[in-house]
Amino acid sequence: MLTETSVNLLQSYQNGIDSYDEILDVNGRVKPHWQALFSTMEKLGLDELQSRNLEIISKLRENGVTYNVYDGPDGMNRPWQLDPIPFLIEQKEWNVISKGLQQRALLLDLTLRDIYGPRNLVKDAIIPPELVFDNSGFCRPCTDIKLPSSSQLTLYAADMARGPDGRMWVLDNRTQAPSGSGYSLENRVVMSKLIPELADGMYVSKLSPYFNSLQNTVLRLSDKSKDAPNIVYLTPGPSNEAYFEHAYLASYLGYTLAQGDDLMVRNGVVWLKSIDGLQKVDVIIRRIDDDWCDPLELREDSRLGVPGLLQAIRLGNVQVLNPPGSSVLENHSFLAFMDNISLYFLGEKLIMPSVATWWCGQTKEMNYVAEHIDELIIKKANRRSKFRSIYGRLLSQSERADLISMIRLNPREYIAQQEVSLSTTPSLIDGNIVPRYAALRAFLVADEKGYHVMQGGLTRSSPVKDRFVISNQYGGLSKDTWIVSDKTEEVQEKIVLTTPAAVNKHISLPSRSAENLFWVGRYCERTMAVIKFMNITINVLNLDRNFGGSAKQEHIKILLQSLTHLSYTYPGFIEKEELLQDPYSEIIDLVSNSSRPGTIAANIGAFLNSVGAVRNQWDLETWRIVDLIDKGYHELMNASSMNSNNIQKTLEGLHNNMFMFLGIISESMPRDISFFLLETGKLIERIMSKVSVIQSNFGAKNSESVENELIEATLINHHLLVSYRQIYKSHLSIEAMLDLIMLERTHPFSLVYMLDELKNNLGKLPSNMRGERLNEAQKLALEACTLVKLADISALITYDRNLERKELFHLLSEISRLISSVSFTLTNMYFSHTMMQHSFINRMDSDKDEI
Amino acid sequence: MKYKLTHKTEYKYAEPVNNYHSLLCLTPRILPRQLCRDFTISIEPEPARIIEHIDFYGNTTHYFSLHSPHKTLTVLATSVVERLSETTGDPSEKSVITCEEARLRISEDRPLRVSILEYILPSPLVKWDEEIRDFAKDCFQDGSSLYSCVQALCSKIFTQFDFVPDFSTVNTPIKEVLAARKGVCQDFSHLAISCIRAFGFPARYVSGYLETLPPPGKEKLQGSDASHAWISVFIPDYGWCDFDPTNNVVPGERHIVTAWGRDYSDVTPLKGIIFSYGKHELKVEVDVIPIV
Repeated sequence: MLTETSVNLLQSYQNGIDSYDEILDVNGRVKPHWQALFSTMEKLGLDELQSRNLEIISKLRENGVTYNVYDGPDGMNRPWQLDPIPFLIEQKEWNVISKGLQQRALLLDLTLRDIYGPRNLVKDAIIPPELVFDNSGFCRPCTDIKLPSSSQLTLYAADMARGPDGRMWVLDNRTQAPSGSGYSLENRVVMSKLIPELADGMYVSKLSPYFNSLQNTVLRLSDKSKDAPNIVYLTPGPSNEAYFEHAYLASYLGYTLAQGDDLMVRNGVVWLKSIDGLQKVDVIIRRIDDDWCDPLELREDSRLGVPGLLQAIRLGNVQVLNPPGSSVLENHSFLAFMDNISLYFLGEKLIMPSVATWWCGQTKEMNYVAEHIDELIIKKANRRSKFRSIYGRLLSQSERADLISMIRLNPREYIAQQEVSLSTTPSLIDGNIVPRYAALRAFLVADEKGYHVMQGGLTRSSPVKDRFVISNQYGGLSKDTWIVSDKTEEVQEKIVLTTPAAVNKHISLPSRSAENLFWVGRYCERTMAVIKFMNITINVLNLDRNFGGSAKQEHIKILLQSLTHLSYTYPGFIEKEELLQDPYSEIIDLVSNSSRPGTIAANIGAFLNSVGAVRNQWDLETWRIVDLIDKGYHELMNASSMNSNNIQKTLEGLHNNMFMFLGIISESMPRDISFFLLETGKLIERIMSKVSVIQSNFGAKNSESVENELIEATLINHHLLVSYRQIYKSHLSIEAMLDLIMLERTHPFSLVYMLDELKNNLGKLPSNMRGERLNEAQKLALEACTLVKLADISALITYDRNLERKELFHLLSEISRLISSVSFTLTNMYFSHTMMQHSFINRMDSDKDEI
Repeated sequence: MKYKLTHKTEYKYAEPVNNYHSLLCLTPRILPRQLCRDFTISIEPEPARIIEHIDFYGNTTHYFSLHSPHKTLTVLATSVVERLSETTGDPSEKSVITCEEARLRISEDRPLRVSILEYILPSPLVKWDEEIRDFAKDCFQDGSSLYSCVQALCSKIFTQFDFVPDFSTVNTPIKEVLAARKGVCQDFSHLAISCIRAFGFPARYVSGYLETLPPPGKEKLQGSDASHAWISVFIPDYGWCDFDPTNNVVPGERHIVTAWGRDYSDVTPLKGIIFSYGKHELKVEVDVIPIV
């Protein structure tokens, strides 16, 4: 039975093949490694494969692996899609491909150096001058931007696919800030964790040598006199589609993740605005495109870059890779001239062909394109234009004629490419293994000897049949890519880092990240404070509705008003009497209205944003909890359709998960500045929220029965009801309660404990004060702490003729004021980098076609 | 003629500016018929360094940055410039090459084409369409000399357009200028360049200064001169010839050349990136004072 199904799985796949397929060799035989993979999958069984697939999906989600799709149905964060069936390439074949890729990288590097140098390719008529001067990637200010190494093109990625002749073809070049290597790494990590047995009987080459090689190259570029160079991974920020990868690679490689605003140029040197002050930056690996790098000399409206960066590079004070200007090679026209460029520079033919490409700026080529338009894809030569590729065969006769005359109007702007057929590869789609078109991105990094090729890559396969959708933006599946051999034929080269193993011994914390961490603490606690108190209030409400009398009781009114004060959602229950009659609609709004500041939904949203902005700080355990909070957040948004029971359950779940978030942080996060900032934010918020509730519950004297209800609610709010009962049994006294929630040193939710903690935390943050002196924030915290310690509880509970507890009210107001000043002072001390950048010159969009 | 040239730019900010990066393109070029001596830049507050750089087009730029709070910034560039009376574009024997011949030369002489291609192609601020071509159609006759065709175009712009200082900004599209029939020197230069390129000929943007003459019998007012812009057209067998469509004159000894490029965006006299909230005021004073 087993053998029969075994034949069936491979057999049924083979029956579905209607194009040339990766599993077959040129003679139509199944390649041995694919055979092995199929028999392993057979052993696992389709059901198991499918269930592993589900595990992979949830693992990727938990790990927060996303590729953000603009305007996608899932909003911003789209989970990364990984097919459990890898893409296999046999080592011997890969060696040939690698040679082709290395030659290609070398040629592009030579071309890059020539274009920004003598331009002999143009002078000697190897390429038309339009490829340089009509190329939107040719940045004139970059003509004297050079890395101090022989190769300028440090990172290179090539998109490849298998042509009908069985050879790999280069479809496209990525030369400025290639993306995808981090996703390849994460694919490998997830695959080896969740479906390790697929590799049974095969040797799969490792990816890590590629990254080691990258680290070595970066080290060589950095200032050799320093043993701990400052290396920055420059990202456009969390709204970039590949932000996950930026954060992932920065932490994998041990570099500081920074945005343009985190850096500044001063005296021709690039500095990182870190919480310990300005730190000189030695090397920048950029993930922002060329024209956004420096608003002074490139796009003036760029907010992603660093003004003065080009000047700093010219002075040799910082190395940026790839050097700005390298997008010049991404112009599609170059594919048409690679053969000639190869002959010119190396005197040899291309090892790996490019997809056949015609640049329409030449008469002969233009005529060819016009005659063969039905076989061709028409693109603009400049990648930057928003033009979408046109498939000639999909056009009607008259549309073709229109297209041709449009090209003839400005022929130099267009290129045509042969519509290549791609190979298909086994893909798991809806529980079946079926052939789907696939293409592969390979990654190279320049090293001392030439170009190092990653032993693997990022394969993307089309989710739909008979059509290839390569871009992740439009939804595609990724695959782990295995370079396989029978055994370790060559002993894996042992990679030794040439300089200290820890690349960045001290990873600087950019001020922006510091601010985000502080707000992670604050929003987390703020959300928990509102949830906690809301649950207390809902419980009292429910009790009253089910068992209470007809008249709304005074204590409910006070609790509801405290809720408004606490969440800062005025007017809320303060002015609107009618809301007090039916509090549920307001409560639901306080839970779910994400566009109203102060609500639970708004606070969680802000929390998730802050967490996302420093995602390189979190390990997987933490990220998993964040994912659960994210799920709860989405449930909450629909709270209006939930009954109060379910709302409470969701709220409790969220509260627990946020508690867990804080728990993991306190158990696992290193006690460095990041931790102390987060703790400080949490404590500030916790003190403020507890103070707010005490103040609004007890600012005025109420009847004993009402106060008893409030005392109980307040004790629960401080996690102190149990301790209280152990001491005082069922006797409720405001004096005993205040003593406990304010002055009990051993209890983490008492004011004195929290204030002491805050004071200690502040002492651990970097101080610009000399010696042992207290800085402003510490003084404020000390003052608040001392005020509480000196408080006389019996005096605090006294009230005047108008039943107001003025002493208590004033003390609490003072503590509130002092603690908000702490927050304000910290902002000035550590986070004052958020100045807006303006260009003197109005926005000038050179891409617009406006005349 | 010999001139003392001063160009003073003053910014006043409503809020203090903490960080400022600037790129200046204010140094007169040294040319066969133009000498520049004693060029100085003084900046207040004083930056730690001013870094000189020669850009892609051979223009001299200066970069500086400021990092302490300031509410006013003054950039003063001064120099002594000597223009020889024999000037570019005013040949004793005018170039006779026709449009047709010029076009042929440009397409067949590859090294020539390579060297002038970027002045034939569209550039960030200079693009064209049928309407722009139509405007210039009667100026460009295949059989006429290219030189006289460009002159006809400049004269057409001069007679049909009004010089209106506040009508346009650096971002006003050429088409708007064409429709309104008004603008300033920069607009007229961009329009002229787009027309010339639309017919396949190379034209570049020249930025500089023009000495203005006071009304007869009156004293010249201080700060009454202005930075100016005109165009230069490449005429095969002859070279780059300057034309001033704003004044319909052949630039001569009163025109001082600072920089050239494809259009204004290549030669912006003063670019700056500030980090601040709030607005700013700008005051520019230019003096081109003859030295006797």
